[in-house]
Parts: sequence; structure tokens; C-alpha cells
Amino acid sequence: MDAPLKELAKLQKLAGDSSSSKGKSPSINDSLDSLLQSLQEVKDRLQVGTATDETLTILSKTVESRKKEVDERQKEVYNALAKIGKALDKKFQTPLPTYAPLFQSESAHATLERTIALHFLRTGQSKTAETFIEESNVDIDADTRLKFKELHEIVTALKEQDIGPALEWAERNRTFLQKRSSPLEFLLHRSRYTRYLLSPPPDGGDCAAITYAKSYFPPFYSQHEPEIRRLMCCLLYLPVSRLQTSPYADLASPSMHLDLEPMFAKEYCASLGMSRQVPLRVVGDIGGGGALARIEKARSVMRERKSEWSHTEELPIEIPLPPENRYHSIFACPVSKEQSTDQNPPMLMGCGHVITKDSLQKLSKPGGRVKCPYCPVESQVGAALRVHF
Amino acid sequence: MSTGKLNTEGIMLFEQPFARVPYENYRKVFRTSQKSIEKELGSVQTAANDIAKRTKSADSDPEDAVKAVEGMITRVENLKRKLADLQSSAGTPTIDVMRERFKHLKNVEDMQTPNDPEFTRWADTRLDRWLVDWSLRNGKEKTAKMIADDRGVERLVDIDLFSDIRRIEDALKQRSCTEALAWCSENKSALRKAKNTLEFDLRLQEYIELARAGKNLEAIAYSKKHLLPWQETHLPQIRQAAALLCYPPTTTCTPYKRLYDTSRWDALIQSFRLAIYNLSTLPSEPLLHLAMYAGLASLKLPACYDQQTKNVDCPVCDPSLGKLAEEVPFSHHVNSTIVCRITGRIMDEDNMPMAFPTNGQVYSREALEDMAARNNGAVNDPQTGETCEFSALRRLFIS
Ligand SMILES: [Zn+2]
Ligand SMILES: [Zn+2]
Repeated sequence: MDAPLKELAKLQKLAGDSSSSKGKSPSINDSLDSLLQSLQEVKDRLQVGTATDETLTILSKTVESRKKEVDERQKEVYNALAKIGKALDKKFQTPLPTYAPLFQSESAHATLERTIALHFLRTGQSKTAETFIEESNVDIDADTRLKFKELHEIVTALKEQDIGPALEWAERNRTFLQKRSSPLEFLLHRSRYTRYLLSPPPDGGDCAAITYAKSYFPPFYSQHEPEIRRLMCCLLYLPVSRLQTSPYADLASPSMHLDLEPMFAKEYCASLGMSRQVPLRVVGDIGGGGALARIEKARSVMRERKSEWSHTEELPIEIPLPPENRYHSIFACPVSKEQSTDQNPPMLMGCGHVITKDSLQKLSKPGGRVKCPYCPVESQVGAALRVHF
Repeated sequence: MSTGKLNTEGIMLFEQPFARVPYENYRKVFRTSQKSIEKELGSVQTAANDIAKRTKSADSDPEDAVKAVEGMITRVENLKRKLADLQSSAGTPTIDVMRERFKHLKNVEDMQTPNDPEFTRWADTRLDRWLVDWSLRNGKEKTAKMIADDRGVERLVDIDLFSDIRRIEDALKQRSCTEALAWCSENKSALRKAKNTLEFDLRLQEYIELARAGKNLEAIAYSKKHLLPWQETHLPQIRQAAALLCYPPTTTCTPYKRLYDTSRWDALIQSFRLAIYNLSTLPSEPLLHLAMYAGLASLKLPACYDQQTKNVDCPVCDPSLGKLAEEVPFSHHVNSTIVCRITGRIMDEDNMPMAFPTNGQVYSREALEDMAARNNGAVNDPQTGETCEFSALRRLFIS
């Protein structure tokens, strides 16, 4: 965007107020002022009777030349504007594609409205959510709204360095968190402990920190022993200025507390059976992060080759996804290149290599033996294990 | 976390209208200023020539000349004020919007990876912008304003443009073409360039309404004035319109019945919307739809629709988004990718897939080792409950 910004700066110089504007021709304001002055002078001379025929002929020429100045200045502005246009043309060479209208059916539209309403609730935009629900036909049940409200309140408190509500929730949901081996509760305590550590006595300081550790850390010894040891050791490096240059500097950094918000939101959503990321964001980021561009490129290649691509079945190309957006296993048989299905599932051979059932049958020899195409090992077809990813 | 680079080209594909709308707005401001200049300075010029000529003739009156010069002064002062007002009410704000948007796009160009926290904020804003665009196109103006205000993105969204669209569409709904025709005349040259004939369609509709009201003479006069100028390109329609006067609105004769059909008004709203989107370089579909189309298609798999293989973290597995994804194609994959159902991480040589020996359930080594460490060396399949020693697990080689 450097080129459009550069051209815009030029336009701004031309179009700005008279004092700051710079161009080859005088600013319109200056031209008009000077025209006004000439008019005023002529008027004065007419009134005192010193005006001659020539005065008015000259006036008409003055008007003409001021008009010319104004026109020239306008032309400069026009050209500057056109240059911005050209810079934008150069920057944006591919137009957005045109698609047949999407999500038009009544049920699809309602589903989309619901998705958007939940998005507002989930991201803590509760006022927007209310307005949106009023303007739409969505009905989000009170319980769901309440849950999101709680989430938002706890996250807001975390943002304001108040971990109380989050801790209370974590205690209430201890069994759930333990089953997920989530360190959330311990990390909340850790956060509070370091805050004690770093604030001045009598509220904070090493004594307060030790008291806190004594009363809250014991249940976590079995899972987090090494970290607890670090937390206690760092006491030896107080005061804070010394701690900051010690091996425990990370404990003094404010960034330590920042991870708590996303971690809390993730666990909270999991407890409600919801995804860890905001789904509309994920979909939007993938679509707006290159996927549409790739799909369009493939479409135009196919158009050139005059081959048809049915819109509803499968994309003609693979869209690369970041690892955190791979949610399902894909097994493509290395022999047949086909994707596994329930009818043609992946089979684990004795040697550890996996191929699909159809390929296994094709490779089988009399006597029910099969020679792995990827290693020298032979095994029994019947001994192959159907695997589930 | 992904390690990839940001696909700037792919991101920019969506941003053309974002940059262009304020640019087009500034062009309008410029045209308005040009019109005022032509009008006011044009008359000042005429007046100046006039008195110069008159003084040369004998019957010149100095009083008249003073008055004429005073008139010129008023005009120039008017022009000065008009231009200053235009600059402060429209010119400067539009330039500010342009600068802010160009900078906003430059920011994302300068970012390196999607993991950059700056990018997270940028993408948050982008979704806000898309939701404003969607709300405006779906008549939810209050929501749009609320988002813009709450998230501080007023300069990054086009609420004014859409309330203009809405005003004109509402007028068409009330069966008035006046507002739409005014818009056509404001954008005459751009419409001509785009070979858009919205204006003719609007004129024809006004003519039809005269015919419907039985005002035949007025209809003929109207046609002469407003339809005939289109005869080069629309002669058949003009002729048909002329014949319409012989048929009452209740006619069953097809072409004329169709002209009297009130659904033509809905079609006019559609054509107007397409025309103004086109001139503003806005896509006919909401940006959110385009992003969702591509995003859902990149993720959609048959596994998303199978209770056994659903993943709560997958957007398409969400019942609502899964329903919307019915309208998009499935993703396409050439290579195997095995994702651990416990950790959510992709398995590879460093984190091998391992199968339970009897039921064939596969998880990552990392997850199973962790489980064994907490369980005295035993592992437990979360799907079926099968338990065995870690050492009894079978390693998989996926090529
Ligand atoms: Zn093998
Ligand atoms: Zn899925």
C-alpha cells in the first residue's frame, strides 16, 4: 500500500487548507481572495468615479486569469486523484469473484443469524448481541445467554487482574479439569502467588506469598512438583529488581498472566461442549487468508481448459491448512491414492505399514499372504488390523 | 500453532472495496467542487465581460456597474464558502478515511505470520468489518452501528453508503423512482461507462405508472421527453411501451400484462442494488459469505457429518456451521494427515501414531506416553475402554 499512500499524501497537500496546501498553481482560496481584492478595488474606484473604461476591461481579464488559475489547480487535484486510482488499480488486479447468492434459503439464513448471534455472545459483545437478536428472528435460550455472560464476566475480571471468579469456577469444575489434565486451576494459583510475591508488604511480599503457597499448593504437588519448586526457589532472589535478572525472570513478567484468558475461555467452552477457537473467526480467517484466492485461481485455470467443475461436490485443489486447523484424520492409501472410507478402511499390516482394504486384497497372493510394497516383510492378509484414526 | 507466512495476496483479494469506496467518495466531492466552480466563476466571467462591454457604449451607468461588481463579489464569496464547507464536511473526512484504510492495509502487509498478536487484532477487526457489511446488507442497521461504535471501526465501514442505498430502496418500495433517478443523474457518466440501463428501466416504470393511472396524454409527453432519448438502444421497448396505452391494467395479453406486473418494482430494487454495488466496487455477495464459502469448503470433510468422527473443535462439525456448509463443496486432500484425537496434534515420525492391539484405535505416541506415565505404564483407550501395557501398542508407518 506504499504507492497509494504516497499518492494520497500528495493529494492531501493539494486539497488541504490554503496555508498548508502546496501546488504548482496557487491554492483556490488564494486565487479567490485575490479575485475578491481586485473586485473590491474596482468597486471602490467606480464609487469614487476614478474608474475608466480600461479598469473594467482589465477586470474582465483579471477574472479570466483567476479562473484559469483555479482551473489549473483543479486539474492538479484531478491528476493527483487519478494517480491514486492508478495505484489502486495496480494494487488490486483481481476483482472479488461473483458467486450465486449463498445461504438464501429461509433455514440457512436463520442458521446464519443464529451463528452470528452466538458469535457476539461468545466474544463478549453482549450489547451488540442484544441489538442483533432484536433485529433478527433468532431465539437464544436464556441458559445459553447466561453461560456466555458468565464467561464474559470472568474473562473481563481476568483482564482486570482479578482471578477470583475464574478460580471459583475452576474449583467448581475441578473434576472436569482433572479429567482433561488441564493445569488451569494451578496456573490461576500460580498467578495469584506471583502477584503476592511482587507487591509490597504488608499485602504482598515473601511472607504473604509463603502463607499463600502453604494453603493452596499442596493439592497440586503430585502434578506440578517441579514448577512449585521453582516458585518457592524464586523467593531467594527477591527483591523484584534482582528477580528480574535471575533465572526466574519469567515469573516477574506480566506476560505470564496473559495466557490465562485464552486458556480459561478454552476450558470454559470445552465444559459446554464448544470448540476451543471462535468458529466464525476460524472459518473467516481461513477463507480470507488465501483459500478464496486459491479456489478462484483453480476456477480460472479450469475455465481456461474449458473443463467443468461441479460446485457442490469437491474442491478441485487442496487448500493448505495450518496444523491447528486440521481437525480430522485423512488417510489416503499410498497404493491406490484413494481416501479410506467405511467400506474401504485403512488396514495395519504386520510390518506396521498401512494401506486400504481394497489394496490389501489386490496385493494378496494365494495362501492369504501379502508382501508389503514398502518393506520386505510378508504377512497374513487375515492378520491385518482395521485401524481407526 | 502454525508456522506459515501470511498470505498477503489472499488477504488483499477481499480488500479492494475497502480501499475504493472512500476513493470513489472523494471523486464525488471533487465533482461537486468542480460544478460549483463552473457555475459561480462562469457567471462572474459573464458579468465581467458584460460590464466591460457596456461601459464602452455611451449609456453606461456607474450605479449599475457598482451593483454588477457587488453581485460578482457575492458570488465569489459564496463560492469560497461553499468550497470551504465542502472541504471540511466531506473532503477532509474522506481523505482521513482513505488514509486510515490504506494504513490499515499497509499494517497487514508488514506483518509476517498469522501468530503475530498484531495480526490477531487485525483479523478481529476484519471480522467486525464483515459483520457490519453483512448487517447493513440485511437491513440490520442498528446492529451495524453498534458494532462500529463498540469496536471503534466507524472509519473502516461504510454505514453512510448503505443508509443511502436503504433510503433509495425504501423509496422504490413505496413506488417512487425520484430518489433512484436522482442517483442515476449524479452518476450518469459512470453508469454510461458501465453500460448500465437502470435509468431507462426507472423511466419506463414511471411511464407504466402513468399508463396505469389512465393519464394517456401525460404518458405520451413523458415518453417523448424521457424514453425517446434511448431509442438507439431500446427502440423495441419504447414501441411496446407506446402500445401499452391500448391495454388496460387488467389485460391478460402477455407482454403488456408483464409490463403492468407490480413485481417489476422488486426487480428495480434488485437492479438498483446491483448498479450501486457495481459502481462502489462492492461485491454482490456479502464479504462474510465469500469468506465463509472458502473457509467452510477448505475444512469440510465427510467426517464432519458422522457422529463417530465429529470433533468439537472443528467449525464444520458445529451443527449450525455444518448446515451452512451443505452449500459448499468438500475439501480435497491428496496426502494422509493423521490427527491425534487426544491432543489434537498432527502425528509424524517424531510423534508416531500408535494403535491399540485389538480394537485398532490410533493415538499419538505423545498422548499415550503421557497416559502411561500417569498410569504405571498402562494405557487406556478413551473410545472403548480397552486397556493394555504401553509396550503392547503397535506402531504405524504412514507413507
Ligand atoms: Zn511394510
Ligand atoms: Zn469437522
